[in-house]
Amino acid sequence: MGKPTGFQEFPRQAAPYRPAEVRMLDYEEIFTPRDEARLTTQGARCMDCGVPFCQSEPHGCPVYNLIPEWNDLVYQGRWRDALDRLLKTNNFPEFTGRVCPAPCEGACVLGITDPAVTIKNIEHAIIERGFEEGWMTPKVPSRRTGKRVAVVGSGPAGLAAAAQLNSVGHQVVVYERADRVGGLLTYGIPNMKLGKDVVQRRVDLMAAEGIEFITGVAVGNGEQGSTDAQELLDAFDAVLLTTGATLPRDLPIEGRALEGVHFAMDFLTANTKSLLDSKHDDGAYISAKDKHVIVIGGGDTGTDCIGTSLRHGCASLVNFEIMPQPPEGRADGNPWPEWPRIFRVDYGHEEAAKRFGDDPRVYAISGKRFIDNGNGHVSALETIEVQWVNGRPEEIPGTEKIWPADLVLLSMGFLGPEASVGETLGVEFDARSNFAADFGQYRTAQEKVFAAGDCRRGQSLVVRAINEGRESAREIDRFLMGETTLP
Amino acid sequence: MPHPILSNEEAAALKHIDHRGWTSKVIDITYEKGTGEAGLRGALKRICDEAMAAIDAGASLVVLSDRAVSAERIPVSTLLATGAVHHHLIKAHARTRIGLVVETGEAREVHHLCLLVGYGADAINPYLAFEALWQARQDGLLDDAPHIQSDDDVVAAYRKGTAKGLLKVMAKMGISTLQSYKGAQIFEAVGLASSVVDLCFSGTTSRIEGADFAVLAEEMGRRHALAYPERESQRIPVLNNPGEFHWRRGGDRHMWDPIAIADLQVAVRSQSEDAYWRFSKYTNEVATREATLRGLLQFKPGVAGPAVPLDEVESEKDIVKRFATGAMSYGSISAEAHETLAIAMNRLGGKSNTGEGGEDPARWTPEPNGDSKRSAIKQVASGRFGVTIQYLTNADELQIKIIQGAKPGEGGELPGGKVDEIIAAVRHSTPGVGLISPPPHHDIYSIEDMAQLIHDLKNANPSARISVKLGAEIGCGTVAAGVTKAKADHLVIAGHDGGTGASPLTSIKHAGLPWELGVVETHHTLVMNNLRSRVVLQTDGQLKTGRDVAIAALLGAEEFGFATAPLVALGCIMMRKCHLNTCPVGVATQDPELRKKFQGQPEHVVNYFFLIAKELRQIMAELGFRSITEMVGRSDCLNFDQALTQWKAKGIDLSALLARPEEPEGFLGRYGSDAQDHELEKALDKKLIALAQPALDQQVPVNIELPVVNTNRVVGTMLSHEVAKRFGADMLEEDTITVRLTGSAGQSLGAFLARGITLEVEGDANDFVGKGLSGGKVIVYPPKVSPFKAEENILVGNVCLYGATSGEAYFRGIAAERFCVRNSGATAVVEGVGDHGLEYMTGGRAVILGPTGRNCAAGMSGGIAYIWDPKGAFPGNCNQEMVDLDPVTTDDDAELRSLIEKHQHYTGSTVAEALLARWESARSEFVKVMPRDYKRVLEARAKAASAA
Repeated sequence: MGKPTGFQEFPRQAAPYRPAEVRMLDYEEIFTPRDEARLTTQGARCMDCGVPFCQSEPHGCPVYNLIPEWNDLVYQGRWRDALDRLLKTNNFPEFTGRVCPAPCEGACVLGITDPAVTIKNIEHAIIERGFEEGWMTPKVPSRRTGKRVAVVGSGPAGLAAAAQLNSVGHQVVVYERADRVGGLLTYGIPNMKLGKDVVQRRVDLMAAEGIEFITGVAVGNGEQGSTDAQELLDAFDAVLLTTGATLPRDLPIEGRALEGVHFAMDFLTANTKSLLDSKHDDGAYISAKDKHVIVIGGGDTGTDCIGTSLRHGCASLVNFEIMPQPPEGRADGNPWPEWPRIFRVDYGHEEAAKRFGDDPRVYAISGKRFIDNGNGHVSALETIEVQWVNGRPEEIPGTEKIWPADLVLLSMGFLGPEASVGETLGVEFDARSNFAADFGQYRTAQEKVFAAGDCRRGQSLVVRAINEGRESAREIDRFLMGETTLP
Repeated sequence: MPHPILSNEEAAALKHIDHRGWTSKVIDITYEKGTGEAGLRGALKRICDEAMAAIDAGASLVVLSDRAVSAERIPVSTLLATGAVHHHLIKAHARTRIGLVVETGEAREVHHLCLLVGYGADAINPYLAFEALWQARQDGLLDDAPHIQSDDDVVAAYRKGTAKGLLKVMAKMGISTLQSYKGAQIFEAVGLASSVVDLCFSGTTSRIEGADFAVLAEEMGRRHALAYPERESQRIPVLNNPGEFHWRRGGDRHMWDPIAIADLQVAVRSQSEDAYWRFSKYTNEVATREATLRGLLQFKPGVAGPAVPLDEVESEKDIVKRFATGAMSYGSISAEAHETLAIAMNRLGGKSNTGEGGEDPARWTPEPNGDSKRSAIKQVASGRFGVTIQYLTNADELQIKIIQGAKPGEGGELPGGKVDEIIAAVRHSTPGVGLISPPPHHDIYSIEDMAQLIHDLKNANPSARISVKLGAEIGCGTVAAGVTKAKADHLVIAGHDGGTGASPLTSIKHAGLPWELGVVETHHTLVMNNLRSRVVLQTDGQLKTGRDVAIAALLGAEEFGFATAPLVALGCIMMRKCHLNTCPVGVATQDPELRKKFQGQPEHVVNYFFLIAKELRQIMAELGFRSITEMVGRSDCLNFDQALTQWKAKGIDLSALLARPEEPEGFLGRYGSDAQDHELEKALDKKLIALAQPALDQQVPVNIELPVVNTNRVVGTMLSHEVAKRFGADMLEEDTITVRLTGSAGQSLGAFLARGITLEVEGDANDFVGKGLSGGKVIVYPPKVSPFKAEENILVGNVCLYGATSGEAYFRGIAAERFCVRNSGATAVVEGVGDHGLEYMTGGRAVILGPTGRNCAAGMSGGIAYIWDPKGAFPGNCNQEMVDLDPVTTDDDAELRSLIEKHQHYTGSTVAEALLARWESARSEFVKVMPRDYKRVLEARAKAASAA
């Protein structure tokens, strides 16, 4: 334990983001440089609980990070040991340290009465220090097993599985249909929140460890230029599907087909690709410049649309959420250590408020129809307020309102994986259209084929994807070798 | 040999010894990987044979060594090897012909060393423990230990620490020398097959069978594979934390993990039955199942009869009256937590327990809303903290704590940081000074003493049940039978699973036994001796659910104690920081800031117990029981769960647990249905109370003169109870009731004597005079006609003024042993004492006008004693570990002199008279015994006062 009385002596001091007015002008990461003096006091706040809720499901860390242990090591200044502890449970702390909503902090015991320990900041700092010190060197397995595993999809689940499988000597090939490796990490999350150099740094490390990445190849049914998944079955000893939940939820209301109404992922993906390819010089992205932007959906992706639109230079911006505004503190039905469903101000909200004066969010509101400008392009959105009765939204008559809109971004979540690769391989689907495989087992109905991450469980957190990737690697190792020591 | 732990150099020297005919033989205790059980058994046989051969070859020492461990060779568990050799040599009548040294990479903790010594090792070289610590030093982990500057310092510190640990464990078992501990094997095995016990631990109790050599070999193989993995790539870069003390995923099973705690807290706070059923299902089917004996059992419906409708089963309201909360002291937990538990249990009609820390008298007055913070159970533990007549009077049950199930043999320990002003006041001790309860009760050295204490307490509160709390170890049934014959009304059998986060680590893991074993043994013994109907049997130790309660009842208990679970309901999240005073939820802390964070409500505990009762009723209905009393001891309604899949569980045999005892002829009953006869009507106090009516009714002074004989035990105590009951904290003015007795008083004269009562005895008195003195005055002097010199003769017996809290005592003669032990506020003058006087004293004054026995003032942390020591003999008899011997100064003059004057006045002492006659010269012959902690606190207070 850092310091027995640390939590009484030091207040919580989370690492600040760069000032909103400055960071809004570029696409660089929003984070400020590591402040090790402050982190030491923050590590000292950890109480080394007898039962550390932070480090475990169902409420805390999905990869079971040994949080109290590395908090203490950071307090003691033993960064190298902290890194070893961290990497024991988490393959990619540089991703979770940036983008994780940190259920660990929601479950932190200190959070019962005081602000939680800044666990996520500490994780971020440990891994960045590790890279800076040159401690993150490729670890090539000393012996190869001769077994070959194909991983389809290079998001966090696929990468975690690949790293784990490679570490015990299997030959891993990762297939990615996009032009860059990383899946959601690369094209789903904007550069501000997760720098693409950070993703590439990890991909390079993994390649140096012997993992083969094949980009620009879609694995499917063999049609439309895709590689027939059956070929993978023949060429590999096991196939792992980590294709993510990529089918977006639509808003099938009048005017949906109008121009200017886009899925968030199309907007974000094009933006990042153009940024990386040409710093936006190629113009191959959906621009929000000088437009009235409406973002529908109040999740993290919605926030990313807000942040990106602001950087494009939008004329105005609102963000609709059908749920009511969450309370400032925990509601009665939301006790610790559950994830606190409270009102939060994320980077995009803060920036929008800075630019336009107000928080962009409007709650308990629902879209009724998109309005045509006469040329097939959207010009406005009509909404209606809703009230929640028995868990269902009911429209409130007379609350209709028209909002000007040139660009509407739909970020209302995802329904499940695209079916083709699963169908081709003979995988069964569960009731929610995900690939059917039991949690902890990850085996599909098809011998040799495993599934993990969002394509199996539905959309969730990066950290859960990492966990499923790790655990599926364990099951694949067991399948291939008869036993396993992977966690 | 000065120390059983050998440094590497010493071990090497012994391995190569060839000196004056002393030689040694090193025996390799590893065996070939992959050979499994046969390899292990073969290795043990070989090791034993080689040891015999070494003796035949004339060696003086054998060294059992596992240094040959390698990728191909697995070390036999050092303990198996040591025990096997030890017993093999004993059977061959050769053990005394050779010394047994163990060179091991396995032993590292105190418990490991205890086991090795306890099973016959003469010396141990734990080389890997040294190497690990050396590595830690290299890594800078020992930088804040200034006394560790070299590897040799590490070894010295380890040896010092483990020796202290060994001593502590030996002390718990009442053993003073390593010689006596060696080979004493005072251990009980839980879950070990008799094949293993017979070969390696012959004579050790193992009641439920369990792991055999095949399981042990498999386990050794698995551990070996961690260090030498088949696949090089699977070598772990960072050692796993097995979560032994702090829960870790994939580590040891803990019954309280994040899932269980979160569900229980949600259940009681939001009155969510769903959350309770989740909690109970998870606890019953996962946590309890993987961690306890009862987890291996299942119910057998139909045996006791067909299922009964739920509405015919005893109501929840009645069931919860059988529930009690654990003996957690105010001090170990905060006032908020302690009082919330009390309010909750009083609302339920159950019982909360003071623990051994006394209780603030303010809690005995009900709250305006009708709630009461008064704990129904008042514990009487060895420290006797705050055990006054009012404390005893304000109780429904008085519990004599013999053992804490979780740390048998140890007393409570309250670190100084938690002893604030209020706690010190309630405990009659000094703020800032840590409090250690002595392991034994100083007034119980035999079953007769126990009977006496039960009788004392019954006199102190005739309407309270007298309970005795025992631990679950083997033999507890016999003890329980004795205690029942000593007229306890109530027994508690405490299991090992509970206990505080402040327990020593060796105790958390390795002390105590499951209550299942203790309850069964106790119930059986009491049934077979037809004593069961005379006591109520309670058990505790991590009871959590209705299923737990049902099993406890079926095994023989009818009341049920809970401690951890209600604390969790109140917000405890098992920080395991109880000893640091930093509990962040205000439960186990005295820090005012942290106490503000306490969020528990009595409703939480009430809700929880009703939910347990609800679950219990469903089980009762299914099994066909309408009441708890019908269930007691119906172990035929339980079955070994055949569905167990855990690989180590297959050898377990619980048939002894499930057998039902034979009921004797004229059997009186399977549960506590008959009252004990305490024979209170024979007490002299009945007469005293009648004669003292004017004082009791109108506070009019009375003088009583009566003869006394030594069958008059506990004189003045029931009268004191009447005083305390009627007049509350202030009781009566000094000398309101004066009782003059002539003759030889029996045991416990003036025990818990209340303020306002004076007992004057012309004659003498037996043991325990003024035990727990509570403001009263006791005067004893020999018959005025006696020709002998009073100051040279023993006047009063052993253990006088034990646990006295206030009042005065004057003895014109010598007191026997253990005078004023745990005195926390009384003033006493005596003319000489036996051994162990003033031990663990925390307050009050003692004036000894004569010689003392040895070991005087041991563990004394408060109060002051003045010893008249004209010959300078006292320093040699004083245990000066915690006290200074100072001269008597003019500051002390008035106090000392007035005490001697009073002594002379009350007893007519000629010793006092002579001293006073030459006071100026006599004063310098006194030594003042001053506890250093107490002195520090007094000086700090004086400083604060002058600053103010």
